[in-house]
Amino acid sequence: MKKLLLIAAVALTAVSLQAQKLVIKGSDTLGAKLVPMLAEEYRAMYPGVSFEIAAEGSTTGIAAIIDGTADIGMASRAAKSTEISAAQAKGVSMTETIVCFDGIAVILNSNSPLAGLSERQVQQIFTGDVTDWSAVGGNPGTISVYTRNTSSGTYSDFKKLAMNKRDYAPSSQKMAGNEQIVSEVAKNPNGIGYVGLAYVKAEGIKVASIDGALPTKESVVAKAYPYARPTFYYTNGEPTGEAAKFIDFTHSKKGQEIAAKVGFVPVK
Amino acid sequence: MDSKPSAPEPTFKIKKTGKRFLGLSLDDFVRSFFGGNALVSVIVLALITVFLFREGFGFFGQNQQNLSTYRQAGLEYVDYMKRQVDDHTALKRYLSDLRVRQFTKLKTEQGLEIREVNAALSSFDDFAWDFSETVNPLRNMVSDLTETASAIKTKFLISEDKKTERKQLLQEGQKEAAARVQQIEVDFDTEIQPILATLPSYREINTTFAQEIVSVLPRAPQMPDAALQERMDRFVAMARAYTATFPAIEKEMATWDPHEEVALSSSFSAFIFGRDWLTASFWQDWYGIIPLAIGSLMVSVVALVLAVPLGIGAAIYVNQVASDAEKKLIKPCIEFISAIPSVVLGFFGIAVLGQALRLLSQQPWAEFIPGFPFSERLNILTAGCLLALIAVPTIFTLAEDAINNVPRPFKEASMALGASRLQTIIRIIVPASLSGIISAVLLGFGRVIGETMVVLLCAGNRIEIPDFTAGLGVVTQPVHTMTGIIAQEMGEVVHGSIHYRALFVVGIVLFFLALIINYLAQKIVRRYRISIG
Repeated sequence: MKKLLLIAAVALTAVSLQAQKLVIKGSDTLGAKLVPMLAEEYRAMYPGVSFEIAAEGSTTGIAAIIDGTADIGMASRAAKSTEISAAQAKGVSMTETIVCFDGIAVILNSNSPLAGLSERQVQQIFTGDVTDWSAVGGNPGTISVYTRNTSSGTYSDFKKLAMNKRDYAPSSQKMAGNEQIVSEVAKNPNGIGYVGLAYVKAEGIKVASIDGALPTKESVVAKAYPYARPTFYYTNGEPTGEAAKFIDFTHSKKGQEIAAKVGFVPVK
Repeated sequence: MDSKPSAPEPTFKIKKTGKRFLGLSLDDFVRSFFGGNALVSVIVLALITVFLFREGFGFFGQNQQNLSTYRQAGLEYVDYMKRQVDDHTALKRYLSDLRVRQFTKLKTEQGLEIREVNAALSSFDDFAWDFSETVNPLRNMVSDLTETASAIKTKFLISEDKKTERKQLLQEGQKEAAARVQQIEVDFDTEIQPILATLPSYREINTTFAQEIVSVLPRAPQMPDAALQERMDRFVAMARAYTATFPAIEKEMATWDPHEEVALSSSFSAFIFGRDWLTASFWQDWYGIIPLAIGSLMVSVVALVLAVPLGIGAAIYVNQVASDAEKKLIKPCIEFISAIPSVVLGFFGIAVLGQALRLLSQQPWAEFIPGFPFSERLNILTAGCLLALIAVPTIFTLAEDAINNVPRPFKEASMALGASRLQTIIRIIVPASLSGIISAVLLGFGRVIGETMVVLLCAGNRIEIPDFTAGLGVVTQPVHTMTGIIAQEMGEVVHGSIHYRALFVVGIVLFFLALIINYLAQKIVRRYRISIG
């Protein structure tokens, strides 16, 4: 009898293993690190669930929801009106859930007398309209601007968010990654750069407030901090079943802690 | 193997024939193995060259298209005004530089508090503010037109994308899907009418702009000393000269023709003589190799200035002066340097050398050195110092070979005539091996200009022509290099895009540079093998 029960249990698990497969597609901002980490934690809690994660860009995530090939679509931008109308035409109602915010911090050397800059000053500095710290209220000295390299997504995002789509000053130095920007700004009293929020705790640098707002949870949610964008999960109608449980897990304390750890601003 | 048919059959004591496989003996296998290897390497090299040219050559056509869109969509037209605004910004920067100078003067020489200094400078600040306000109407107009022109360009690019999409679908044989792709036709002539129609209002804005500048200038405050006053006078003169350029700009804009063809040759010259390398721009991408080429050359020159005396000096010493024990120590040591991976040297450069050089430059007693003090630790000097390390073994080994090849009787004859060892070295040995030494230097140069990792990590990656007005101090500025840009950008560009092809053309330029350098080195060695004797 015991044996029979065991077999039944194994069979049940096998069935549930088959059924519980969560397909998540879309943005590589989310899909590179955050969602795989969430999935790992989630699997530790519910071992029966398996994941299929494909991070090929926000557009593919939204398209996958419209075509019904994914349970959850990840996007680092809101769905466009044409996409929502295309979904409606197919009888799919796009429902968005904000996952967390993706923010960019402007960093200064910790010896800089400045605590913050205005949006206008940031634009002037990065476009090269202003080349000396004294013009924005600092000690006299030529500004050293450090940016990501031209093919990085953050390079373009920062232009959109902070520079009114203008080009970087030719005197800006293109660094290979966030770490290199941090280490240069930390060693150069006249340095300024921008990095993902996961990198701001390094020694020797400080985060500049923008128009008085630091990139914190409150200021980002209140839209007081300008250099942040929300990231989304898209589902067909209100999420149900395993997808709903996973989205709830994302919004749980643990899920948001993971988000903060990989450099996003949590929403809850 | 096969005996000649005419000769009588010889008789051998050993009758054993060599083992053959498929009719080939071991010797044949070895021969065809080596021959095959040589053939494979020749084929691979040929394939690489063909690939380089095939991928790179499409660039010029694409760049021609890029430039002609720039013209047709009216971006070129708007850029006339943009440059005018930029020139105004440059003047403003001159003013703020002047403020910094006054500030330091008042603060350090007269010992005023920051608050007092700011109060003393208030009339200057008012003047600077009034001057900077004059540009606003023009700036607003430029920002409106920027949006219009960008929108036209975007629309055109989308229509091009649609065309490619349809082509791709047709290639796959999906005719229905291809027919469903909506085609947008962009008629540049009607699209840019709103931009061209702004010319009269631009003229009005320009007239008031010039008038306002002229009316602001007499309010320029008096400067505290003669040197600063001279700068202020210079500013006033520059501002007047600036307003004087307006009619010329207006005239250029009035005669600007969007239909003028962009020749293929101008796409070529835009690359070879272009002073901007600007990619991933929302406005206009430029692919000009000059800033990168100058960066590569500057770094190599610094490296050679350091490496040539070291390498050749060491070669002469080891070959002519050193004892056997010294030789046994020095030669392997120098040759060992080339065994250090360049990425390790790069890390050393960031973490140790760059930091140390910057600290050194900020010492008060070192200020007499041109370019000191500097604040960028990643610059030409740091990269050049490390590349010198890479070049020394090449130069040393080749130069030592050249010196070694000088016939012994030369030295003996010189000694027999009573020349000292030093005289022999300077008058006989070095001149006799000069061709070899020069080609050693050239090959060292080739080694340095092709080096990637060190310059990527340590040259500072600033895509701008360095400011040569700084004299020798130019070596403390950051640059970007041809090898560095390929390594940095190739990984992420879209396959087949203009940016991708531009990087290949940079590769072709490097290829030709290496070819020329090697050719010259060989030529010099052959022609002037022993220049005296």
